[in-house]
Amino acid sequence: MKFLALLQNTNWKLTRIFPLTLLDMAYITVLLPIFIMLKAPMMLFSLIVLVILFFKKSPASKKLIFFIFMLGSLAIYLSLYGAFSFSGLSRLKIFLELLIYVLIVVVSMQRLTREINLYLIVSPFLFLALSLFFYHGMLMLVYVVFEVFFLLWMILAHRMEGSLVESFRSSMLMFMYSLPWVVVLFIFFPRISFEHANYGFKGEVIKRMGHDGTMFIDGNALLVPSERIVMEVGFEGEIPAEDTLYFRGSILYVDKKDHWKPLPAYPKRETRVNRPLQGKVSNYKVTLYPTQKRWLYLLDMPKKEVKGSTLDRDLITRVDKNIKEPVHYLASSLLSHTFYDVLDEATYRASTLYYKDRNPQAYIVAQEIKNKYPLKEKRASAVVDFFKAQALTYTLQPDALDINRSTDSFLFDKRRGYCVHYASSFVTMARMTGIPSRIVTGYKSDKSESLDNYLVVKEKDAHAWAELYINSQWVRFETTTTARYIDMQNQLNSIQQENPTLQSINLYLMYVKYQVETWILYYSHARQLQLLDYAKKNPMFIVVFVLSLIVLLIITFVIIAYLRRPMYSSEALYILQPLLKSLKKRGYTRKKEESIHQFLLHYISDNPQHLEVKEIDILYEKILYASNTSKLELVLLKKLIKKSLATH
Amino acid sequence: MNYTISSEFTPIIDAVEMHLVGKRETIALSLATFFARGHLLLEDIPGVGKTTLAKCLSQVLGLDFGRIQFTSDMLPSDILGINYYNQKEGSFIFRKGPIFSPFLLADEINRSMPKTQSALLQAMEEGIVTIDAVSYELNKPFFIIGTQNPYEEIGTFPLPNSQLDRFMCSFGIGYPDRVSERDIIRGKTENISTLDQPLLTQAQIEAYMKKASLATLSDTLLDFLQNIIEFTRNSGRFEYGLSTRGALALTAMAKSWAMLQGRDYVIPDDLQMISSVVCSHRLVFKEGTTTTKRIHDEIFTHIFPDI
Repeated sequence: MKFLALLQNTNWKLTRIFPLTLLDMAYITVLLPIFIMLKAPMMLFSLIVLVILFFKKSPASKKLIFFIFMLGSLAIYLSLYGAFSFSGLSRLKIFLELLIYVLIVVVSMQRLTREINLYLIVSPFLFLALSLFFYHGMLMLVYVVFEVFFLLWMILAHRMEGSLVESFRSSMLMFMYSLPWVVVLFIFFPRISFEHANYGFKGEVIKRMGHDGTMFIDGNALLVPSERIVMEVGFEGEIPAEDTLYFRGSILYVDKKDHWKPLPAYPKRETRVNRPLQGKVSNYKVTLYPTQKRWLYLLDMPKKEVKGSTLDRDLITRVDKNIKEPVHYLASSLLSHTFYDVLDEATYRASTLYYKDRNPQAYIVAQEIKNKYPLKEKRASAVVDFFKAQALTYTLQPDALDINRSTDSFLFDKRRGYCVHYASSFVTMARMTGIPSRIVTGYKSDKSESLDNYLVVKEKDAHAWAELYINSQWVRFETTTTARYIDMQNQLNSIQQENPTLQSINLYLMYVKYQVETWILYYSHARQLQLLDYAKKNPMFIVVFVLSLIVLLIITFVIIAYLRRPMYSSEALYILQPLLKSLKKRGYTRKKEESIHQFLLHYISDNPQHLEVKEIDILYEKILYASNTSKLELVLLKKLIKKSLATH
Repeated sequence: MNYTISSEFTPIIDAVEMHLVGKRETIALSLATFFARGHLLLEDIPGVGKTTLAKCLSQVLGLDFGRIQFTSDMLPSDILGINYYNQKEGSFIFRKGPIFSPFLLADEINRSMPKTQSALLQAMEEGIVTIDAVSYELNKPFFIIGTQNPYEEIGTFPLPNSQLDRFMCSFGIGYPDRVSERDIIRGKTENISTLDQPLLTQAQIEAYMKKASLATLSDTLLDFLQNIIEFTRNSGRFEYGLSTRGALALTAMAKSWAMLQGRDYVIPDDLQMISSVVCSHRLVFKEGTTTTKRIHDEIFTHIFPDI
């Protein structure tokens, strides 16, 4: 409360801040992000220095500074002890960390002397630059802008002899003056196209994301009911229909009893075949967060490979290395549930292999279907019908299946499961009826987490479905739709909907973040060209663009005008300015120590014929100093001044 | 300094000026001090019209004029009054001292002993006199013009600063200008008849005093005022800064001065006008002599209204 009262009673206009305090404020700002990443010993050291600074107001003795030096060295040693690993980027990181630690110790030693020197003035900028290596992304961008502004403010405050209010206004003005230029240059200045400079250290903590390369049917391999974001997708145009939002990941062929595996890399298969394109084209850009996998997720069916990746014959978009940091890619897909393929030997063998002794019951049913229908599509729909007839339940908490006969166990005994169990059993049975088939894993999104053309795919959207080879085409089968019952209690949705408001706020925030990222952080040469192209096609766009630039300019100048206005300590003085200007033209300049009243009297005594000036003087004083003045008097003053200016 | 005395008050000043030729500003300032319910300390050499000013002012205002000539052997009872034993009635009767006049000229205060000085100053501050455990209220209005000889003379007891603070304003009268002095020498002022009746009634005086206290002080002006006060305290030019009583004196004087000019609000010019006379006996320069003009110049070359 005392502090609040102090704040209220302080006349900020007159308050002068000491240079050392200004410097401290700058340090607090730049050290904040660095402080968070400090290791415990270094943090302890910083706290000790802070305590000493707080309680010891006199310059530190040489002994104390030496002690701080020793303490700092110890803290550096302890912080970096055991962190030396001479591989990869981490060496650079250690080096930078060491640099920051040394800088902190040196600054502490210098600061304790309570004198300002060059080290202390330069170091905030070094800290600012160094912190950029350790952080990246939106928040840091905003913070860096703030830091730059703050440092500018502090420099100006120092130049203006510690006046916080005046220097704040000046630095705001500088920012406002530069704003239109920054915007225009940002949009039009030719950009060098390069891979996003993902500086900073990322992927330190390996996070398990989504399903693995293998799919377990006993454990909860695919069941990660988490809200963690897997990817953010921005569509060109509207988001496609929900039943097409299948993000294709990896494809599993090999039934290993308790889990499914992809085909081994050897023997090598033929490269993919040329196939006719079909389906609606959808273009979109994806931000995929670290998955530690070697493939990207694209909508069914990917049209062409994403830059820097290869599209294999199963339409898996493969990359060379595990994805350890966020990747951004532009993708194009043909929205379809089928694609044309010519099976090669290896694929055929892998996709038709089954073990009839493992699931005898299913085998009997499959043989019946096989014998009854010669056509593959009929057989497939018969399998679907059989699934439907089994009265299966979709649940996220199924009973454990008998792994030795998982399909039988699922279809005939337990009858409860989720996508994994459905897909696994379906593929097994399809193979038994003689249809080459496989499991596709990926993400199936719905539009509940979407806004405009922006879609968030979360961990809980992980999914598995089946693909059957019918009439030279791979056809997608959504196997979970065969469930007759849905165990609502165990639905993920029921958990999420606990707080829908919070959820939607969160989504909005993510949307804003995403928009800023795509339009500011990742604004590239390609995007510039895209914009130019768009402008060429739509002349209206140019008009809108120019108009919005003008609006921006106007807003900027309004803000500038607003910032400049309080330079006059009252509105009346502001209104008086034209008169003062006109008097200046006539050779009457107000002396610094003269009040307006004295100045005007001085003018009147030289020019007694200007009676309006006397009126203005009286009214002006009244407005400023009398008790009950209204807006009306300001208007009157304006009028009087206008009149007076008109007469001479 | 520019100022225009309102037509309400010009007759008063004119009337006094007939006796004290060419000293309109001094008269106006004295009047302002009176309306601000303050007391006035005149510091000047003998023979420039201190007594004339006091006498004329009391006549114009219609207040009973009392006068004490301070000497080194004076006792407090000479000022306050005394309980004397009336033999006829066989009881103690209080005889009022000169302090019970509403308009008192205390001539050459620094000639008396500190004991006597403090008796006067206490009465000035509190408006109450206590004699033998009985309190007597002083007249209202109560106005003292004290005079002090500025030069060191044998047998003077300079007033301590704490006591000087009780006077609202302090200034000198100064020599008259050449033309005015010629008129005085010619004897023009002697022929002027004294006023038949005062120009103001008691009720009017009370009304003016109230009006002066009600003048508006805007926030802008308070900033200016406080800047002045802070300057006297923090600039390092003065031995010590203005006290809060000094600040109150500044305010009251500025309000009163604003009223004299027919305004019900104070403007910076008022403060500029009265600051030096309010401060001259309150501030002492660390270096060099302290004069009214120097105080004015020092303050207002550093602190000025930016509007």
